[in-house]
Amino acid sequence: MATETPHVSNPHLLRDIQKLGAFDVSACFSCGTCTSVCPLSDGTTVFPRKIITYAQLGLEEKILASPEPWLCYYCGECTDNCPRGADPAGFMMATRRWLTTKYDVTGISKRLYGSKLAEWIGIGLLVLLAGLLAFWYHGPIVTSTVALSTFAPIQLVELADWVVLGVLSVFLLVNVFRMYYYTVLRIPGKRIPFSAYVKNVLILPITFFTQYKFASCKKDPKKHWFSHLSRYLGYAMLFVLAVFLLSEWQTDTYYPLWSPIMLLQYAAAGLLIYGLSGPLYGRLKKTENQYKYSHSTDWMFLLLLLATALTGVAVVTFKYTYLPWAAYITYAFHLMLVTALLVLEVPFAKWSHMAYRTFAPYFAKLQALRGTPLAGGSKSG
Amino acid sequence: MVEAVTVAPKTAEHYDVLVVGAGIAGMEASLTLGDMGMKVLLVEKSPTIGGRLLLLSKVFPTLDCASCISGTKTSGTSHHPNVTMMTYSEVSEIRRNDKDGSFSLRYVEKPRYIDTALCTGCGECEKACPIILPKETEYGLRGRKAIYIPFDTAVPKKAVLDLDNCIFCGACERVCPADSIDFLQAPREHEAEVGAVILATGFEPFPIEKKESYHYGQFPNVVTSLQMDRLTGPTRPFNSILRPSDGKEPSNIAYALCAGSRDKTVGNLRCSQVCCMYSMKQAQLILGTLPAADVTLYYMDIRAYGKGFEEFYQQTKAMGVKFVRGRVAQVEEEKNGDLTVYHEDTEGPGGKGKSTHDLLVLSVGLLPMRGIEKVFKNATLELDEMGWVKLRDETRSPSETSIDGVFSAGTASGPKDVPDSIAEAASAAAQAVGYVLSWREKTGAAVGIPLPKSMPVPMPQAVEVAAK
Repeated sequence: MATETPHVSNPHLLRDIQKLGAFDVSACFSCGTCTSVCPLSDGTTVFPRKIITYAQLGLEEKILASPEPWLCYYCGECTDNCPRGADPAGFMMATRRWLTTKYDVTGISKRLYGSKLAEWIGIGLLVLLAGLLAFWYHGPIVTSTVALSTFAPIQLVELADWVVLGVLSVFLLVNVFRMYYYTVLRIPGKRIPFSAYVKNVLILPITFFTQYKFASCKKDPKKHWFSHLSRYLGYAMLFVLAVFLLSEWQTDTYYPLWSPIMLLQYAAAGLLIYGLSGPLYGRLKKTENQYKYSHSTDWMFLLLLLATALTGVAVVTFKYTYLPWAAYITYAFHLMLVTALLVLEVPFAKWSHMAYRTFAPYFAKLQALRGTPLAGGSKSG
Repeated sequence: MVEAVTVAPKTAEHYDVLVVGAGIAGMEASLTLGDMGMKVLLVEKSPTIGGRLLLLSKVFPTLDCASCISGTKTSGTSHHPNVTMMTYSEVSEIRRNDKDGSFSLRYVEKPRYIDTALCTGCGECEKACPIILPKETEYGLRGRKAIYIPFDTAVPKKAVLDLDNCIFCGACERVCPADSIDFLQAPREHEAEVGAVILATGFEPFPIEKKESYHYGQFPNVVTSLQMDRLTGPTRPFNSILRPSDGKEPSNIAYALCAGSRDKTVGNLRCSQVCCMYSMKQAQLILGTLPAADVTLYYMDIRAYGKGFEEFYQQTKAMGVKFVRGRVAQVEEEKNGDLTVYHEDTEGPGGKGKSTHDLLVLSVGLLPMRGIEKVFKNATLELDEMGWVKLRDETRSPSETSIDGVFSAGTASGPKDVPDSIAEAASAAAQAVGYVLSWREKTGAAVGIPLPKSMPVPMPQAVEVAAK
């Protein structure tokens, strides 16, 4: 079963991580200021310095075995206090990108993060595929009224929903399992009793639904946490609408503007767009530490999400203003964008963090039960 | 140098070398020059000579008494026949004369409001003065009056009146037995011609209140290492080590090294070179006064680079001082005045560490004493990126600055310990003499006052060799 993690050094590790973010962690002289000022680092979870040291030493296996990068919510306190200007927070972000490429079994993630061209080709292919499907399989075009369900046959959309959901879940869960393998299973030490898995399982829904740790970040904690929570809630509501309530949501019938399903839809779109405005503005103006450096995948994620939300809003607007052609064409674009967004981002790119961040505290707990501190044996002198 | 004499105003004074700053380096340079027969003008901006060293307790790694080292230099400087000492004076302008390599300068003698010829340093005025202010030379640990003698061993031992804080009650004037108080004194400008210049302007301690996370000035039990040096000195206030908030004898003292050094967030990237050693020195002295105390040093790297330094480090460890590798990141105050410091023990298992101490000493770094670059009017004194005087070639010609004939001594060009400062001062003095004599040879003229025949070193040969 579990064996001692090999101490093999990868001399290119720091360079590999550095490709995924702008920071100068080679300047780090390991003073520990970052760990000491971090509002989330405590006695059991030790970062960022430990992870930086691993990267400097090329200890790839140690970083793979660390759930810590996912426990960091990027408040930038460490970067503000770093006496070397090494930008530890930026390093942690780049490490998360690197880990995403490592958890992914297909290698798609590595390509997406590795080159913008691959990213564009991926998006292009998916958009094209969805566009062609919409073109081939769309139903009769009714122009007397806006009949979305007739245009896009509800059974087909529903089927596509569940297929995409199933396939993506499989990919994502495989990645999460790999994360579990690296962070828990492969760590040598005591056997973890099954009861521990059950006892700690509540961490998962609590983290998933509240992201409460995010709120402990020191600087403007509530602001960023709330912005993040709104885009997450907005998305979650749309997910429920699109997957479980599709037959109610996407119909040919015209609901009164204040019916519950319409209200739910307004709230979801409002929350999502509000939640996206913060990071988009921040990244554009580079207002705060966490927005100073943007990887191309960050932009892609935010812009795809925004475009999807806006086309969705447009479809509804066109429907209720009785503009059938505009509604159908926008709807086709909406489907194309949503396909690209879900298929690429959920299992392979930025969106996968919803799984990794949720599981990280759970795995960290389990890892601690192994009783083998990762940093063990590093005491010098 | 006939020309210069005719051009200069009749009142101009003539010297061979100007030394700016009378700390240990300035005094050493002046004494060396004076012993070689050079006439020296020593200009010091504070009311006394001796500089920072005089205010320290002991020096590392020998634990020699600091005032004993500098005391011989201060009295030597003040009595040397070839050294003209101008305290409480500032150089305002230096121009280089390219024709003969000499320098014309102006300096201003600030008013002490005391006739120094009459003042005997008896201290009666201090007793009479009703105004109490924090004493600069004790870093605020003691008080002084608005009219005061800076400290007991001050050279010159003359009073100085702090007019900004004076209420003009006249009490000092009434009690002065020598009738030396003169409220009507005004700044006096002097002009001088010199053959060479030595800059021994020294350093200033890093203003650690700029590092907000350490809360110096807000938490009373956070003190600087300079204050601690006073508390461990033989002439210390309170005659013991007491913490400021409640006068309790501390039993668990922490040192935060690199306070204001090697820190991009406060704009000082450099290592200050002396903090490791003086912190260990203080730790040893604390254990001498408070043998049962716990002393913890939070450090990043112990730089014990000089002769006997590593042994001193090992000795400090052996005495029971605890060394924790990790920089102090944050300080919080407890209700009883104790201080909680956050740090990471980077040699242990790591993670956020939290320890409580009853006194925190910040080992403050050194910053350049700025301003001297502005007095050069027709030449540029180059500074390095941190503002220290830039040396032309640090390895091959120490103490040569970007201006021919201007030399640097001591910490003017960067942080240094006492022995290095003294060594560099002697080097600057030797180079200044070489410079003056080579110009004299070239122009066939005398700069300042001719050298006496009894000059101990056979200089002309050396100059001949240099001229070839």
